Amino acid sequence: MSNAVMPKLVVPAPKPLKTALERALADAFAGAYNTLPGSGWVARVRSDAMAWFEANGLPSRRVEEFKYTDLRERLKNGFAPAVAAPVEVPTTAEVDVALGPLARIAGPRLVFVDGVYSAELSRTSGLGDAVEQMPLAPLLRKAPGWLEGKFASGRLGEANALTSLNTAFMSDGLMIKIKPGRRAEQPVMVVNVRASAMAGMVVTRNIVALEPGSAMTLVEAFVVLPTVTSTVTSTMLTSVLTDVTIADGASLDHIKCALDGASSHLSSWIAKVGANASYRAFQLTAGQLTANPGLARHDISVEMAGANSKLDISGAFLARGTQHIDTTLVVDHTVPHCESRELFKGVLDGRARGVFQGKIIVRPGADKTDGKQMARALLLSEDAEFDSKPELEIYADDVVCGHGATAAALDDNLMFYCRSRGIPEAEARTLLIEAFIGDAIDKVEDEAVRSTLMDVSRVWLSQS
Amino acid sequence: MLEIRDLHVKLSDEDKPIIKGLSLIVPKGEVHAVMGPNGSGKSTLAHVLAGRGGYEVTGGDILWNGESLLDLAPDVRAAKGVFLAFQYPMEIPGVAGLTFLRTAMNSVRKKRGLKELTTPEFIKVVREKGAKLNIDIDMLKRPVNVGFSGGEKKRAEILQMALLEPTLCVLDETDSGLDIDALKIVSDGVNALRSPERSMIVITHYQRLLNYIVPDRVHVLAAGVIHKSGGKELALELEKSGYAGYQTKAA
Repeated sequence: MSNAVMPKLVVPAPKPLKTALERALADAFAGAYNTLPGSGWVARVRSDAMAWFEANGLPSRRVEEFKYTDLRERLKNGFAPAVAAPVEVPTTAEVDVALGPLARIAGPRLVFVDGVYSAELSRTSGLGDAVEQMPLAPLLRKAPGWLEGKFASGRLGEANALTSLNTAFMSDGLMIKIKPGRRAEQPVMVVNVRASAMAGMVVTRNIVALEPGSAMTLVEAFVVLPTVTSTVTSTMLTSVLTDVTIADGASLDHIKCALDGASSHLSSWIAKVGANASYRAFQLTAGQLTANPGLARHDISVEMAGANSKLDISGAFLARGTQHIDTTLVVDHTVPHCESRELFKGVLDGRARGVFQGKIIVRPGADKTDGKQMARALLLSEDAEFDSKPELEIYADDVVCGHGATAAALDDNLMFYCRSRGIPEAEARTLLIEAFIGDAIDKVEDEAVRSTLMDVSRVWLSQS
Repeated sequence: MLEIRDLHVKLSDEDKPIIKGLSLIVPKGEVHAVMGPNGSGKSTLAHVLAGRGGYEVTGGDILWNGESLLDLAPDVRAAKGVFLAFQYPMEIPGVAGLTFLRTAMNSVRKKRGLKELTTPEFIKVVREKGAKLNIDIDMLKRPVNVGFSGGEKKRAEILQMALLEPTLCVLDETDSGLDIDALKIVSDGVNALRSPERSMIVITHYQRLLNYIVPDRVHVLAAGVIHKSGGKELALELEKSGYAGYQTKAA
């Protein structure tokens, strides 16, 4: 299909896109349309997505899912959308510095520099023959018919601003598949590194498929080269959509570590879990210490589509300054006998704001569903804020569902207890904060990954 | 030697005084019991000695080996030898008992000019001192005090005390919530720490504990002042007559 005729770009009737950013995104799309990879159905999927965006724009705070995160406001300042392109490829040593403790994760590593796959920096040895993978850009250029289904309208649920922008602008990403009944021997790490100080969008689409009975630990890391850290601003937009399919009897441990805190990070994980399967998702977001406001919005949407499956979605978010970290998740139980667990822990300092919205839907017939959700924030300053909104929509019988949320300062009594045993104030604080975060990080099963995430948190704490 | 001179204490955010001119001397090597009815200021005294926030000392002084403790942070006091065994030991989810003990021990050792313990040295001493209190190392791999029974928590407190080697031990109602077997283990643990170098204050409501930890002196605290001091027989007298007389006096 590589020689397919490029369909003519149909510009929809002008809509009253309200903000300069929305107009700029539409213009950027028109400008980039001919250079974005893919023709034929790929081009059509892109322009359909852009049409949705032009009709709907960025969500206002009247849209319930964006009640606490005003994308229009957060993204408005001087945003000049341009599809970023890597200016120069860093060295592995430089990438390791950017990764910090994450660099210790041995095993295969697939590296994307400013959104573009780098074979040079990637380490594919150790992938083993259970894993099939390739970058998405060449696939999009070929636009094979078998891939089209992954982009079928409605497959990823109702369109929204995040998914539409991602589909419209997706330039590369990882396509990875684990063969039936096989297990990826080592955790596979996908490294997304910002190497250019140039503002602009990096738009990544990942497609992850676990065939029946297969298993993998997948780590997505988002980091910034130290040489550009000081220039990172919210005008640098990262859009990532990871499309996950877990077939019957398969098991995925899916970990994300977002350390690109001063930029704007918009992420969607959309997963469908089959029967007798397991999905363990974990996200750690740690904002870097800069004067710039950072935004991270993580949407996680999971459909429990097969009986007797287990889901655990957990995370930790660490923010200071004026950073804003929002995790919004929807767990949709459509079949009986599934279990879902969510535990999110936030540490908020300065004027940072954390948001957690967790919706559990239990559809008619999804009896014996067992869902539990907990979100806790530790507020280290008077000006930090945590907004938590649990939602339970239950239409089935014999269901056990519960949720809870807390926001509190460090416990004075615990502090006194530690200090009365001789532990100095700063150390006592660190000990208690680490314990608070560790409770969530303990959900990660892979020991090497878990200890790495703990160290990432320690680095963040030591910067305060 | 501990010397409390005409101490006056109130809660920081309230005007009402709790301790109203308390004086007390505990010489080196002695065990003194402080007894009194509920609300007499016993726990306040314990917490003020250890340096808990939320209290304001409005008068008097606390001298430990001639040095005032009042301006010192709780961790600095701990390094100088002060240890408070809590009436309600705290649970710390997420912090393994061993990590906590090691952090605490090395913090005080560092401030006392001793070298930090290596892992084998640390484990050896914890094993040794734990065995005497019926605490095995697996119990300490769990988060601090989480899921412990009342008795286990009190034993764990005494283990902390044994490991931190304080010179001024303040035991705040260590007998509360203990059955007779646990009381015996805890008392044995405390008695093992009695030494000519160590002063102890045992705060209790009931005489029972003092059958096991026999004090050199007994003081009756009521309405924020010491009303009477005497030998160990004073505790028995109180057991018979109760605190009624002291409360009337205080009112």
